[in-house]
Amino acid sequence: MTRLRSFQSLHARMLALSAIATLVALALAGWAIAGVLERFVTEGLDRRLDAEVSLLASTVDREGRIDRARLRQHLGALEGAGGWRWRILAPNQTLSSRDFPALDPGPPHPPLTPGMPEPKRPSLSDAERLHPLEGTREDGSRVHARELTIQSRSGPVTLVAAAPRAVVNRPILGALLPLLIALLALAILLGGASFLQLRIGLRPIRRLRDQVAALRTGARTIIDEDQPSELRPLAVELNALAEDNRSVLATARLSAANLAHALKTPVSALSLQLRDQPEAAAQVARVNATIRHHLARARSQTGNRRSSTALAPAVRDLVEVMFHVHADRMIPIVSDMGEELTVAVDATDLDELIGNVLDNAVRHASSRVTVIARHVPNNPRRIEIDIADDGAGIAKNERSAASRPGTRLDERGDGHGFGLSIVADLVSLYGGRMEMRDAPAGGLLVVLELPASDS
Amino acid sequence: MRILLVEDDPDLGPAIRHALRTENFAVDLITNGIDAAHMGDTEHYDAAVLDLGLPALDGLSVLRAWRAADRALPVLILTARENWSDKVAGFKAGADDYLIKPFRVEELVMRLRALVRRAAGHAQPLLRCGPLSFDTQIGQFELQGLPLKLTAFEWRVLSQLMLRKEAVIERLDLLEKVYEGDADVDSNSLEVIIGRLRKKVGAELIETVRGRGYRLTCAA
Repeated sequence: MTRLRSFQSLHARMLALSAIATLVALALAGWAIAGVLERFVTEGLDRRLDAEVSLLASTVDREGRIDRARLRQHLGALEGAGGWRWRILAPNQTLSSRDFPALDPGPPHPPLTPGMPEPKRPSLSDAERLHPLEGTREDGSRVHARELTIQSRSGPVTLVAAAPRAVVNRPILGALLPLLIALLALAILLGGASFLQLRIGLRPIRRLRDQVAALRTGARTIIDEDQPSELRPLAVELNALAEDNRSVLATARLSAANLAHALKTPVSALSLQLRDQPEAAAQVARVNATIRHHLARARSQTGNRRSSTALAPAVRDLVEVMFHVHADRMIPIVSDMGEELTVAVDATDLDELIGNVLDNAVRHASSRVTVIARHVPNNPRRIEIDIADDGAGIAKNERSAASRPGTRLDERGDGHGFGLSIVADLVSLYGGRMEMRDAPAGGLLVVLELPASDS
Repeated sequence: MRILLVEDDPDLGPAIRHALRTENFAVDLITNGIDAAHMGDTEHYDAAVLDLGLPALDGLSVLRAWRAADRALPVLILTARENWSDKVAGFKAGADDYLIKPFRVEELVMRLRALVRRAAGHAQPLLRCGPLSFDTQIGQFELQGLPLKLTAFEWRVLSQLMLRKEAVIERLDLLEKVYEGDADVDSNSLEVIIGRLRKKVGAELIETVRGRGYRLTCAA
């Protein structure tokens, strides 16, 4: 089954349908208008022909004789316009203009009621006895005629006045051109309107498509459920699907994490036993690096955005940890933040975020580290955490590499950037932002912008 | 220096013990939480290396039990759990340091020496006593600026004296810190070691306090 590619597009389908409907409607309208127009013009012509028939009737007397002198007198009026013809068919003679056209056989004449009153001059009351006829001239052009049969004492007299069909067609054609132009303009207008309507009407679908694409690339984790009523069930279903997908993924990652955990102890033993064999030890170190990498990746991809974690206690705990972990460095950590600040980040992930950046700062600081947190100015939905040291800082060109999500630890030899790339992963997972700047004191300033939680 | 090593892995435990012994540490290896809690509570160690995932009683519970009983021995947690949240939990339970598996033995040794040194109240890694100096980071003694060659027992005794220089160290205390728990201790052997040390560093440095123990005197 082949189908036109363009008709797989809803947009093209609907546009084509509305175009066809518009064209059909306009054709019908044109046809109807042309019909009405023709009737009007034909009626006008009929009245003129009827007047001629009356004129012809006035040349026939009661005996059925034709008053030629009178006829001659009216000849100018009868044949004045080019191509107008007439004919009188009396019982004993026939008079007509030259080349009177051949008439198609008309409908049967209405029977002449016996006992009818004396024939008289045709009048408007004869109109119902007048009937139209069509015919063809010698040159093939069509004529329109009106015929009246009157009774004379010597028998019926048939009077016919004919005019070129062109008399009707010309004004119709003349009116049809502007009509068609108007209809065409209307068609274009309607087409444009339905195109616009589709573009605006289908905009939510395009937005949904973009969101699904963003969902796939990980730029967002859920689809907006604030959709038009037709699309809302789809968005809800897609979110449910994404959630299923995530939980399957989370299970898989948990298994990977458990596996990595289980491997760490035997790898530790192996690396101790192989201390004196540098080549084998290097292999073990690679295994170790791979385990750490995958464990960290597994951990940094299962964020729970519906969490709410108080910032200040978490920072206090981590500062305490830093004093122990870097006991010999004796770097004071000064923190300044409101107790009310809560972030929409899982507690473990928040520890991981702040812990890695703080650890990096303490490692590189020469005399002190500062941690400042506050709401982003004019945006109560975001919280900014600035962690600065007064060490040597990181060169600008290395910053982007250190903070690029998914940077493998073996790309950076010192292992310090490893923590920052995990931070970058986590920050993007929670829809936050991470930036590295020059600290006022000369070292590195890491700015973490995280979503604030509702509570 | 005598270390309590708590590690249940049948390969890793002995491997760490071997590596630490090479660095002159006396090591008692315990493989379950309940024994570990008991040993830490009753024996005198310079520091403990504690795994978290232990049979019978998990590492954090062992640590909390020690702290609840006011056991101040420095504890280094050695674990595969590398989340900062796990570290927070470890330090809250009373740990003094935290090392993640797999690790470099050099780092474990350095951290253990630093723990013991800080527990003895020394902020700086280099300790001096008259002509004698002790770099606690590399565990190296120097006499008049020249490296001193010491046996494991000599090193253990001298490091104890150095860490608590100018203080009298009980004989029993010294014995506990020098011999592993299952060692056959000959009561005279300590005197033999002290005698050999005096020959190496100078007799006037190590003073015998009769009826009590020994003292490293630096002023002389």
